[in-house]
Amino acid sequence: MNSAVFEIGKFARLTLLWLCIIFGAVWGVSWSIGVLLPAVILSQSGESGRFWAQLLQALVPVVAVALFVPLNTCYMVLAERRLLALFTVRKGPNRVGPDGAFQTVADALKLLLKEEITPRGADLLMYTLAPVIFFAPSIIGVMPLLAAVSGNHPLFTPVNLPTGVFYILAVSSIPVVGVVMGGWASNNKYSLVGALRSAAQAISYEIPLLLSIITVCLLAGTLDFVQIADNQRGSLLNWNILGGGALTHLGIGSPWWSIAAALLLAACCILLFALYVICACAEVNRTPFDLPEAESELVSGFNTEYSGIKFAIFFLAEYTNLFIVSTFAAVMFLGGGHAPFPGLEDACISGLRGLLAAWFGACTPFQLGWLVNSLVNPATVSQVFWIIVKSYALVWFASLIRATLPRLRIDQLMDYSWKRLVPLALILLIAVTFLKELV
Amino acid sequence: MLGMVGRAAEGFYQVCRGLWTVFKHSGRPPTTKEFPDVMPELPGAFRGRLALAVNPETGEHLCISCRQCERVCPDKCIDITAHKSPQTGKLELIDFKIDHGLCMFCGLCTEVCPTSCIINTSDFEMSEYSRGALIYDLKRLTLSQEESAYYFAKKDLPPPKPKAKPAPKPEAAGDAGESLAQQPSDVSQQPGPKAEE
Repeated sequence: MNSAVFEIGKFARLTLLWLCIIFGAVWGVSWSIGVLLPAVILSQSGESGRFWAQLLQALVPVVAVALFVPLNTCYMVLAERRLLALFTVRKGPNRVGPDGAFQTVADALKLLLKEEITPRGADLLMYTLAPVIFFAPSIIGVMPLLAAVSGNHPLFTPVNLPTGVFYILAVSSIPVVGVVMGGWASNNKYSLVGALRSAAQAISYEIPLLLSIITVCLLAGTLDFVQIADNQRGSLLNWNILGGGALTHLGIGSPWWSIAAALLLAACCILLFALYVICACAEVNRTPFDLPEAESELVSGFNTEYSGIKFAIFFLAEYTNLFIVSTFAAVMFLGGGHAPFPGLEDACISGLRGLLAAWFGACTPFQLGWLVNSLVNPATVSQVFWIIVKSYALVWFASLIRATLPRLRIDQLMDYSWKRLVPLALILLIAVTFLKELV
Repeated sequence: MLGMVGRAAEGFYQVCRGLWTVFKHSGRPPTTKEFPDVMPELPGAFRGRLALAVNPETGEHLCISCRQCERVCPDKCIDITAHKSPQTGKLELIDFKIDHGLCMFCGLCTEVCPTSCIINTSDFEMSEYSRGALIYDLKRLTLSQEESAYYFAKKDLPPPKPKAKPAPKPEAAGDAGESLAQQPSDVSQQPGPKAEE
């Protein structure tokens, strides 16, 4: 018993270490590019430097994502391996660095140094482009989420889109092209089978996924991530997973049909969330639906022939997609950056503000006070904290699913999507449309 | 329709049960053995690297060059060089070679050994860079006095009788083979020079 608790403690320590590395780095770099450097430029060269200052600020989202994606993948792969080890009563990687904290860094370095092999008969152009096409959408796709996850921070507001949901859904269907290209170009029958399976699966599962997202948008009344997140402010009952505030309108005097509609709406939304999780697992090729790369049947599917840096890019994109899908769920269903209990968020913010005042309030030099205030904005910190908790909880849940469920057969996969999920999604769409009016 | 909903609910319940079962396992202590850091505790009967034991008390070599192990070895991986000592007229061990690359660790040699000289140790880390290095000679095979004492205790073997004293006794026992019957009488002269060495 003791050693089990010990292992969980080690995992928690690893997680803390890596989250500090990831978000410390992203935070620090974003701040120095978006706040510190422009301020220095403006104070040095006055009006003439305004263009450069604004250019630097516009670069912040790009740099933040470019920094975040590889670091986050390092952590996610490590966390997944450690979690799978926990679930299968093993220890997991524990050699490189403290408790194996830098195992994935070593793996990444090894992958980058490995020889790149191009199979005979491969279509070189398509073979090279495939990982790029697979990876690019995951970087582009993160962008509109940035404003929502940072609580509409001024540096990230420019990348927020009024039709952010639509944009992400559009972008997230591009990677399939990369998979099919890679499978076709590598001149290998297993890769081709994997790629075709991937195409079929992605097309089939995109429909219920879209329908569930559309239903949530219908409920929220907007396609803007920041607004969707803000609509869920308050408490657990305001989250879209429980009907987006339908339950909070109920009073003792409300008519019976209103109460029934609100409860039904909440039930529908929970089903929608389940539907989303299932389809998202299929979209990012996670385990119950990992037919495109089925290690035991297709060697490893579409990326069999890839090695070295190209394989690393495939790997990076896969885990980034998983993270995007989790963050997307956190914003759409789980209240974005808002705390689950009323008052908790305000307590977070005021507590942080108090801490800052206690530590740095006494530091009288004006410069230092400005630095700290621009670096740590209590409202943003609280939002980012809650979104991190929710996203990574979903990522860990995906690991739990991977440790539990066996792979589906291809015909079961298709049946499940077209005969079960699509009708369910349509029923839910109609039900939510009517119930929303009744509440 | 209702049946389908029921089946869906049943499936959902089963998936949740599976997830919970797997999740519960994270509360179990890991079964991983961290081998190079923590050596496994092997039972006494474990058949690892072969070695030749010495008498734990006196330190004299237990091998009597009877060649029974060489004869019984299915792989023929044991090679014993011995000659009759011109002075004593008794078998004297010159070299004892075991090719561990050929050995299949069946343990037959340890069973036939009349003096419990050849034993399976608990050592299993025998990686070498060449096949030649797997051929162990007498020097590499012979255990120290402490190691012999450790394995005699671990394998629960009867403590060997000192070669010198019981010289007349086996004759009294009588039923031993000819070579065995011969040997002790020879040995009676042996301990003198050996002890001096």
